[in-house]
Amino acid sequence: MILHVNHTRRDSAAASASEAVSTFLTLFEEGHLTPAQFARLQVYLDWVQYKQNFREPVTVVEAAESDGGEPSRMEIRIDSRQLAPGSLRELVKKAIGPAAPGRAEAEDRIYLEEFRSLRTSVVWSFNHLYWQRLKDWEEATGKSYEKSLPGGVSDGHHPQAIADSAREFWKLLRELETHHQLPAEIFILEIGVGLAKRAGMWLDRFCELDQENGTQYYPRLRFLLGDYSLSTLDRSRPAVEKHIDLCSFIALDALDPTRTLAFLRHKVLHVHSSNTYDNLPDEELVWRDNRLYWVQVRAYIPAPQAARIASGCQLAPAEIARTIKRLLEVGADTLPEHERGMAFWMNTWNAIRLEERLVDRLDLPDAELPAGLSYPQIEDLLHDAPGELRFHLSSGALESFRNTLPLLHPQGYLQVQDIFVTDWSGYSTGFYGPGKLDGSIVNWVNGALLREVAHRAGYDLHFTPFPYRAGSKTSILYTTERE
Amino acid sequence: MTVPLLPTTMVGSYSMPSWLERLKTDYFARRISRHDLDEIHDCAVRSAIKDQEMAGLDIVTDGELRRDNMIDYFVERLPGIHIDRSSKKFYYDFYDSEVLGKIPIAALGLVDDFKFLLANTERATKFCITGPHSLAKRVRNKYYPTDEALATDIARVMNMELKELAKAGAELIQIDEPYYSGFPEDLAWGVKVLNLLVEGVDAKIAVHICYGNRYGKPSWEGSYRYLFPTILGAKIQQLSLEFARRGGEDLDLFREFSPPFELGAGVIDVKDQAVETADLVAERIRKVMKFVAPEKIVVLPDCGLFHLPRDIAFAKLRAMVEGTKIVRKELNR
Repeated sequence: MILHVNHTRRDSAAASASEAVSTFLTLFEEGHLTPAQFARLQVYLDWVQYKQNFREPVTVVEAAESDGGEPSRMEIRIDSRQLAPGSLRELVKKAIGPAAPGRAEAEDRIYLEEFRSLRTSVVWSFNHLYWQRLKDWEEATGKSYEKSLPGGVSDGHHPQAIADSAREFWKLLRELETHHQLPAEIFILEIGVGLAKRAGMWLDRFCELDQENGTQYYPRLRFLLGDYSLSTLDRSRPAVEKHIDLCSFIALDALDPTRTLAFLRHKVLHVHSSNTYDNLPDEELVWRDNRLYWVQVRAYIPAPQAARIASGCQLAPAEIARTIKRLLEVGADTLPEHERGMAFWMNTWNAIRLEERLVDRLDLPDAELPAGLSYPQIEDLLHDAPGELRFHLSSGALESFRNTLPLLHPQGYLQVQDIFVTDWSGYSTGFYGPGKLDGSIVNWVNGALLREVAHRAGYDLHFTPFPYRAGSKTSILYTTERE
Repeated sequence: MTVPLLPTTMVGSYSMPSWLERLKTDYFARRISRHDLDEIHDCAVRSAIKDQEMAGLDIVTDGELRRDNMIDYFVERLPGIHIDRSSKKFYYDFYDSEVLGKIPIAALGLVDDFKFLLANTERATKFCITGPHSLAKRVRNKYYPTDEALATDIARVMNMELKELAKAGAELIQIDEPYYSGFPEDLAWGVKVLNLLVEGVDAKIAVHICYGNRYGKPSWEGSYRYLFPTILGAKIQQLSLEFARRGGEDLDLFREFSPPFELGAGVIDVKDQAVETADLVAERIRKVMKFVAPEKIVVLPDCGLFHLPRDIAFAKLRAMVEGTKIVRKELNR
């Protein structure tokens, strides 16, 4: 058995490690684990920092051999944060038993789907619903999205960060003008606008700079606010009211901005996004014994919670799955009273968990990697990575990134404020999602893969820790042209 | 060899297959031998020639598939240029290279590439090289007093090679000088060096000037107006420019200055994977004909097809050929 300690909180890690070793040895001695099972056992002590997440306290993940034979290795992940004192033994016993979830359908779980890639899981439909009906959620909880963020503030709205960003852009324009290369129209794109607080502050500051220096760039700005949610775009107008003549509100898919903005190919001098990548559809891969595995998931609701939700909403338990389907189509008004619909939505979301299994990528010939990436590339990259890794593919972020680059003017740049795992070793030392953030999903973004895709597309990527707030988890990504 | 009205050709490079990219990178990682790589290149070049023939091009190139990029293939051959071999991790990366002393005269070994092309097609051929201005801009100059002086010596060496190419049967040689667009202030000496490069070379000379295609994206933006009237002093017979992606605004320059040479008109956008229809290509050619007589037009893509997937590159060439046929028919030729 190998024990991996994936977090560094001295008190809890030491106690959890000791308890885990003792528990597994006892289970082995008692015959609950065979010598073969024990030899191939990998136990991970995680600290899942998202209070709301998709994990049980003890989760088993197995990789089936491609010929359908015995699983090669058993992986048990223990969320030290969720674990109640004294509960480990029973939870592990249940997890490794013959009727363990993942091997068969557990009777005490209401399944919402078959095993599939995380990206296609129903949990992303909940995420979509949240952004489409954010106002409903905010009214029901009585707090804005921003207030529900860790710390209650968004780094995307930090005044100094915004002022510096405006100044940096102004300097670029100045340089282009010096070389007689400043275009007549200066296009800027903000992807994922929220309430456009940042856009408004940025334009205020840029306008001031322009006036202070008498450069006349401001009237030439064409500021594009792009978001896939029309209601978000509507709500963003007041924040940029002072600059409305320069602004265009564009419904676009963050995964493929170029599809909507093809007419601006190679014309946009600055693209910015804040906290968008971490909320785009994602999936995970595992690198083990020089093989790549896809993590497949199956969403479920624990039966006792399903019963409570059903009773609270005056539904029969058997109606849960069908009601969820309707909820995802029409929102909270799926139930006769809006409030009851909201309660159903929120309680269901809180209760949803994901079972996991690993499938060799060779057994999934149709599983597609994001454009710009190939298996040989990933395998080459992982040769320099720690021996065994579970990591995000960040497929949505990669897609968005790659489909944004063609918009950039040759001297333009992309800046992204988000949460990144900037090198492979990061995946050995922490948990980076998926977590639940209010009604949405959060995943840290795989910076190492982004760097690779950028490289092949002709850009170097740089990550700078957000310097404006102590303790911030945010980094700032920016591109420079690769020679 | 005679070619029809509105002859079709590539700018130079053809689609680089991902398997060839991996094998090239394997070579740098010393996982395959030079001998194996040479054989692989031979196969890839034959395949590129065949694709051009199947697409119906009138003039074919070797697809430049032996080259890592437009700079290193020449820098490696120029004597006296010091190369840091460890600086290239992915085959497409540029070497860090610097010139520490005067560049001596030497054969560059390009004639063998041309002979291979000639031996593998019965169509008219074009052989492409990167020009001295672009090379001088990429090499760190630690010896010559100016970039012009460095480019002049590169031109002196390459002039010998061009003469050898002509002797070997090269009837059309294209010089690629995209860096003119990045450094328009160099154009006057750039043309002087270009003329030195082609002096006494018994072949038709074309010059290709675009706005860059590194990693399949433009390196600069602007207008071709910077070329005029200086470029009129170039001793060339054909000027190849990009018009598909950038639109045809700069075509006016051909009416304004009436250059004596042919126009190689880019009618295929190589930075967009969407395949043009033959009708769109025909429309673009008709637009060019409003400014230049059809007898003086060569039809080609905006730049090399290096970064496009093979199926898309091939489909674009097909569309280009079909679009040209439409216009030829309209001209009864």
